[in-house]
Amino acid sequence: MAFLVLKTLFRKEGTASAILAVALLVAILASMSSIVNHINFQTEALGKVPTIGEAYFILSNSSTSITDSQVDTKLASLLDDVADVKYVLPQKIFIATLATKSSKHTTLVRGVEDIQTFLNVRNSYVKGAVANASEMQADVGEVLARLASVHVGDEVSVTVGGRFFKVKVVGIVKTLTQSDTELIIPMKTANHLSGEDGKVSFIEFALKDLNPGDETISRITELLPANTKIVKVQQLKNFMQDVNSQTLSFLGLWSSMVYIVVTAASYVLATRLIAESSYDLAMLRALGAKKKLVFKLVITYTATIAPLASTLGLAIGIGGTQVASTIFRWIWPSIEINPFLEPGQALQILLLTIASSVLGCIYPAFRSALKAHVEQSL
Amino acid sequence: MRLISFRYLGRQRILTLAFILTLASTLFSITAFSLLGFYKGFNAYLGEGEDVVAIYERGSRTPFTGTVPMYLAEQISPIKGVLASSPEVIGPCIVKSESIFIRGIIPEEFSKLNPLTIVEGDMLELTDVNFAIVGKGLAEGLNLKPGDKVLALGVLADRYVEVQVKGIFESQSTMDDEALVPLYVGQWLRGIDYGHVTLIRVKIDKDQLSSCDLLNVIAKEASKPAQTGLGKEEEKQAEGIIPVVKTSFNLEDIGVEEAQSFMRSYLDKYGVTKEALLILSIMVFILASASVASASTTLIQEHKREIEVLRSLGASKKTLKTDLIVKILSWSLAASAAGILLAAATLTVIGESGYLQVLSHRVLYQLDPLIVALNFVLVSMLVATSITCIDLRH
Repeated sequence: MAFLVLKTLFRKEGTASAILAVALLVAILASMSSIVNHINFQTEALGKVPTIGEAYFILSNSSTSITDSQVDTKLASLLDDVADVKYVLPQKIFIATLATKSSKHTTLVRGVEDIQTFLNVRNSYVKGAVANASEMQADVGEVLARLASVHVGDEVSVTVGGRFFKVKVVGIVKTLTQSDTELIIPMKTANHLSGEDGKVSFIEFALKDLNPGDETISRITELLPANTKIVKVQQLKNFMQDVNSQTLSFLGLWSSMVYIVVTAASYVLATRLIAESSYDLAMLRALGAKKKLVFKLVITYTATIAPLASTLGLAIGIGGTQVASTIFRWIWPSIEINPFLEPGQALQILLLTIASSVLGCIYPAFRSALKAHVEQSL
Repeated sequence: MRLISFRYLGRQRILTLAFILTLASTLFSITAFSLLGFYKGFNAYLGEGEDVVAIYERGSRTPFTGTVPMYLAEQISPIKGVLASSPEVIGPCIVKSESIFIRGIIPEEFSKLNPLTIVEGDMLELTDVNFAIVGKGLAEGLNLKPGDKVLALGVLADRYVEVQVKGIFESQSTMDDEALVPLYVGQWLRGIDYGHVTLIRVKIDKDQLSSCDLLNVIAKEASKPAQTGLGKEEEKQAEGIIPVVKTSFNLEDIGVEEAQSFMRSYLDKYGVTKEALLILSIMVFILASASVASASTTLIQEHKREIEVLRSLGASKKTLKTDLIVKILSWSLAASAAGILLAAATLTVIGESGYLQVLSHRVLYQLDPLIVALNFVLVSMLVATSITCIDLRH
């Protein structure tokens, strides 16, 4: 009996338009998602370009900046034993007051164990010489040298928290990095100035393989204590992922608006079904059907047309965008748009549409079930 | 037969249609406001108005990745009619695990093009070697305040910088989502030498100078023979703190265009025009309109008895349809207005939560009169069409 009534409900005039109404809403979601997928794919492809960046940091876990970080110097020797490591540069950075004959400047001081390697990996240009660890020598970054009018051969005073040193400037360096505004001194001198031994701000290292697998980094991480972290300097992949997630976040919110419309549409469609089938439902109740059955029938009807509408909508959405992109390519051959929808996304759209549709029809179904057969308009 | 004063439509039933119309209108408005907001914001990224001209690299695929010789900014500066010449480097980077854009500037020149209001802390100077000023939106997003240290990791280069926040600024533009640093800091992050910048923005007096005149000046510079001695480069020992390097270039590689047109040309390259975005929004409305048509049919279905009585009393189909349109249209217009307001409120909430972002810049939407008018027109047309097409059988 119930099956017969259900069959009657499906034969109602409004069924086709109900499927179409939901299908077109799903088509909006499918087409938007496939276009956004194309954009994100392009961005991700850019992020997968093999990077030229090779540098990594080891910082203390709790630090948010380099100057606040403190790690054990001994960690550098652990890295020296790893075969894949190209170079290891422990560095100490702190703020100091630099005094020349004519002026005073607050500047960053960078203590480096091996200044020659440090400058080499930055492809630096050195005017003068590289500071020697055994003597009180320093190299000055080009921008700082211009700002403080420092020249090769000058003697400058460096003060940190009451400690005072005089160093001789033996070279002006151009690294095209932040070191161009720093005073670069040997680690030994930096330890004297900062008053701490055995700790550095961070350890910079690079691997021989420019695009190492996760295993290599995991292996190095295992060697390090838990209070340290490894940070890759060049962040192309993360940047692209973050930019993509911004678009996806908005798409997610926008899609929820479409699902609200689907819910409302389902409410209207269920109301229409009940209005169109008032005779059938009244007859069913008159023949002794329980309230629950009427409720079930409306829900079953909606739950059946929702997947049909979703599938049709997905087809319209994907097909429509493909046709539009092909036309687009004919008009502007230089622009290539390849919209696509992943199976997971299609399934998500399908399930969310069914859920929204069922949600929308609950109230009309409930209201209809509560009506006695004598109240039903025939 | 006049039906206008005869109230045969149930208010609650009309409300269902009005609700669907409100949702369709909201969906259209959210789509149109956000897409056109992005379009407008992107175009105005380098400045609005015909007096702001950009000197850029023609071949670059994005506005952020080209390079032009920096010394051109100095060559242009003394020309009569040039009010400001601001070389700028745009460096994408990661700060506190978030993608942001850091812009290297010469603060004095930049301020002539974009007056900044410092809301906290102090203004940036070119000699502030390890400092940055942060836009209000970015400062709120990353929870930054003056005195905080910021570690910025490069994206286009294997570089990093650590800077201290000197101040928070407000510009009432997309710039509020960026951090500004001295020009050379931007050059490190972007991975270019001191002789190049991403672009040069020039503010001109339109009565005295045009973009063509600027291009002529650049053409003269390009035609000068390449420097010899130190190879391709000749270092000029300037008094300033940035080592100025003069580099040779091809005129064909350099473009001079109104800043807005320059930005628009990038979107045009990918087929993103205002018209295309508007059509896309209208398509969304059209696809949602089947639900509205269904709601209209439902309304008629629910009033089947009333309509049949009226038909029996002699009301023609035309009279009934006209009456239905008149009665429902006022509800539709109200629903349309409600949809627009709901969309505006939703976008404001989404925007303030930081979800309405494209390329790490907030999309600033505006209640575009064109969209508002289009909304009313589309809703009215949809209601009128769906009622006209309904078969009022006797």
